[in-house]
Amino acid sequence: MTSTSGQTYLKTRAAVMSGQLMDEQDFTAILATPLQQLEKQFGLSGISDRGLSPANLNRSIERGLINQLMNELTILLRPLNGPARETLIHWSRKFELYNLKALIRGKLNNLPYDLIRESLHILPSLISLPHEELLRTENVPELLRRLENTPYEAIARQARQVYEEKNESFSLDATIDLRYYTGLLKHAQGCDPADRSPLLKLIGSLIDRQNLPWLLRYRLNYQLSPTETYYLMIPSGRHIHTDLLKQLVNMQQLTGILEALPAPLDSQLSGAASIMEVELAMTEALNEQTRHCLHFCPSAVARTLAYMMLREMDLQRVFAILQGQVLALDETVIRQAADLDREDANV
Amino acid sequence: MFKPLAMKQVVIQLLADDLPRASLTLAELGVFSPSNREEFNEYFPDIPGEHYREIYHQACSRLQKIESHIPLGPVTTISPTRVISEQELSSTNQWLGEIWERCSSYEEHFRRLTDEEHMLNQLEQALDNFASLNIDLSLLQGERLFLDLHVGMLPSANVPKLREAIALADYLLFSYLENSNNTHVIIIGIKGARVKELRSVMDTAGFHALEIPPELHDKPERIRSDLQRRRETVARERTEHQQSMQACADEVRAQLEQARNQLILAEPYVAMGDAARNLGQLSIISGWIPERELQRVESALYKALSGPFQITADTPPRSRHREVPTCLPVNWLTSAFSSLVKQYGVPRYGEINPTLIFALSFIAMFGMMFGDVGHGAVIILAAWLGRKKLKSFTPFAICAGLSASLFGLLYGSLFGYEHLFHAVWIPPLSDPLYMLSMALFWGIGFMVIISLLYIHNRLVSGEISHALFDTNGVVSITLYLSVLAGTYQLYQSGSFGWLPAALSILTLLTLLAFKLIETQAPPGERMLVATIETFETLTGYISNTLSFLRVAAFSLNHVALAIAVFTLADMMDGTGHWLMVVGGNLFILILEGAIVTIQALRLEYYEGFSRFFSGDGTEFKPLKLSLQGVK
Repeated sequence: MTSTSGQTYLKTRAAVMSGQLMDEQDFTAILATPLQQLEKQFGLSGISDRGLSPANLNRSIERGLINQLMNELTILLRPLNGPARETLIHWSRKFELYNLKALIRGKLNNLPYDLIRESLHILPSLISLPHEELLRTENVPELLRRLENTPYEAIARQARQVYEEKNESFSLDATIDLRYYTGLLKHAQGCDPADRSPLLKLIGSLIDRQNLPWLLRYRLNYQLSPTETYYLMIPSGRHIHTDLLKQLVNMQQLTGILEALPAPLDSQLSGAASIMEVELAMTEALNEQTRHCLHFCPSAVARTLAYMMLREMDLQRVFAILQGQVLALDETVIRQAADLDREDANV
Repeated sequence: MFKPLAMKQVVIQLLADDLPRASLTLAELGVFSPSNREEFNEYFPDIPGEHYREIYHQACSRLQKIESHIPLGPVTTISPTRVISEQELSSTNQWLGEIWERCSSYEEHFRRLTDEEHMLNQLEQALDNFASLNIDLSLLQGERLFLDLHVGMLPSANVPKLREAIALADYLLFSYLENSNNTHVIIIGIKGARVKELRSVMDTAGFHALEIPPELHDKPERIRSDLQRRRETVARERTEHQQSMQACADEVRAQLEQARNQLILAEPYVAMGDAARNLGQLSIISGWIPERELQRVESALYKALSGPFQITADTPPRSRHREVPTCLPVNWLTSAFSSLVKQYGVPRYGEINPTLIFALSFIAMFGMMFGDVGHGAVIILAAWLGRKKLKSFTPFAICAGLSASLFGLLYGSLFGYEHLFHAVWIPPLSDPLYMLSMALFWGIGFMVIISLLYIHNRLVSGEISHALFDTNGVVSITLYLSVLAGTYQLYQSGSFGWLPAALSILTLLTLLAFKLIETQAPPGERMLVATIETFETLTGYISNTLSFLRVAAFSLNHVALAIAVFTLADMMDGTGHWLMVVGGNLFILILEGAIVTIQALRLEYYEGFSRFFSGDGTEFKPLKLSLQGVK
């Protein structure tokens, strides 16, 4: 993406759309808003009038919100071409990978067709797999054979090797995620020099946000060896580089790992006592960096990706609130799920 | 003939047990299109056959997958028809599952054989590579007391990561060959407690061990022959599996065809979807039936169903015409023309069925543009000889050929020769202006008919103001005809005439007033848009009429091309002359024939259809006994 007009258009588009991003006050306000009004606000009108069960209603709401996100991505993709476009499309593939994981897990556990289908997101054809064909497969090897005829061939081949050697979903999931983030980095590295550096910074922050909680879980919860943990880590984080990762995977205590982190992560994570707290603090840090990128980054592509990442985070929290309302949960629980309590505590 | 068939919205009340039989009977008749009526949802809340539907879909999917390995013969008529019970469908599905498991294991086996072949290729390359290494390869074989050593390959993308990861366990990775996204590596480390840890990470990285041939640096020819032997084994195994699969196919084909028939018979009940609803033992089926078929449906259900039933049929009110599916009557002669009409769109219920008008005007225009007795006869002959491939398009091609031959008689043309017999009417090139004026008259007539059809369609749908004042409405056609009459008078007597002038001005102002009322915009913009649209209505009529001049232009072009062919032929003698005549005629037939067909279609679609029908109707799709549409 080199044309000045394209950059200007995209920056303007991202700036206009960033008006939709929400702050903590907005979230507190929607917490007090009735469900039907919220549905209207998020383009889901009439969804609760269909007489769906709470579980189905939640799934429909989630699908609706992802659909909205995909529609916004489609608008932002229009002026883009080449590696920049591919980078953004690859970012959105995460939703299809959720579907793929659900399909694999469903097949591994012999779940019925309807149950697996209900858990799949409806996605634009740009990134969508032939779900019906994959759903009608009888087992994981057949599913992977079919997948080898799609753009996800590389993932399918690697997944097959892992499946044949290990035959469990954890390694499959980890391999799929690893492939996804490696692919995202590869696409960003192919962008114009002006876009490459800010994109790699942004994706690096995203990778740090993924890597650290994974590292803690693999080492402390799943008791994986340092070698295997390191292999499952994504290279090229923003603050957690390869050498540091090698050092961290050899540690066995949460406090030790957190103390070994460089600035600004050490201060951001000081006081975190559990993996969940680390994850929340990392999400907050990512949120800050992404907002900074959205407003000040010279690259329109990086701004666009930043907007999409922030919008996704917002819609996730909106979904937590809507889900809580559908299930008629206690407000305290909803606030916790939507990450509102921590804000109050900070205030 | 000129209108879609009159439809009735029917509700059949029957016993729940009779539902599958009723679905099958309706599918046999092929005149019922299921459609849910929301007003019944409250009283009949249950949708029957959910489990049946699930089994059916799974069985269909399995059959479809099996068919990609075992091709089946064409579907023949299923007689007698019978209801397929859920139990029978379930056992068929189970059997199909078993067959698919066999096919799937063959598929998986073929995939493994392909991988094996790939591996053999890699080994062969490794052999070449090892042969050039100046080391004792026996050191790389077998168990070592203190050394853990692995030779193998893995996807190139995973190499750097694996190298770094295993370094944490004090292992080293050396790559010595890279090809087609795979890298051959040697992994080496001290034997100890971390062997298991290494194995796990190697598996995750997709590491495949390669055998180190023990006699490698002694007798490479022997290794090569061993590889060749393994290659032959793979090929033999593939052939054996193909034969075994073929045998399996021959064994189960007849049963598979029976299973397919069962699925065909089961489909109507599945295809009912939410058009069939239950309340306890009482069921309803709602949908659409052409009025003329109602009696036949009733008597067929009476014969087929054991329990009582009641059928009620309502005529849809005009306000609900948008929901009514359009059923265009089709026979063997109009089938192809109907398909071409549907390429543009399906008329709404109540609108004029344009098939006959399309058929007649298309045939006439094709003949006018391609008039030649010989060329027409060749088209007829070719259509007859290729009737199996052309299928329902055979009558279309024959009619086009007949029309070309008829106009050939009128033009006095046979394979481009214009002196073999006298023209009944006129050879086109003898008076081009006359031909152009004839085409103009044809265009005017066509435009008038199209506008009348538009007026009819708007009146039928109750849009009276549009029928009167809109583009193509009464006012527009009056404007068009008055301008034409005035222009003709101007040409004949030098004056436009007061009546055409008064009519033109009056209709123009009426049209402008209507556009002003219709346009939703601020006053200035409204005036601008209305003026432009009024002007566009008039120019549109004129330009569309002039489009029909191409009918004459192509008739002249046809003759001109023939003259060119004969001029070239006359420059040669003997065989060359006749080869040129035959080749030239073939050229005219193929190239000009295609162009004329496209031009005639263009005139139909753009000057005709776009003016009088919206093409956004819903096609009537009745239940039928076939494995289509419901997947």
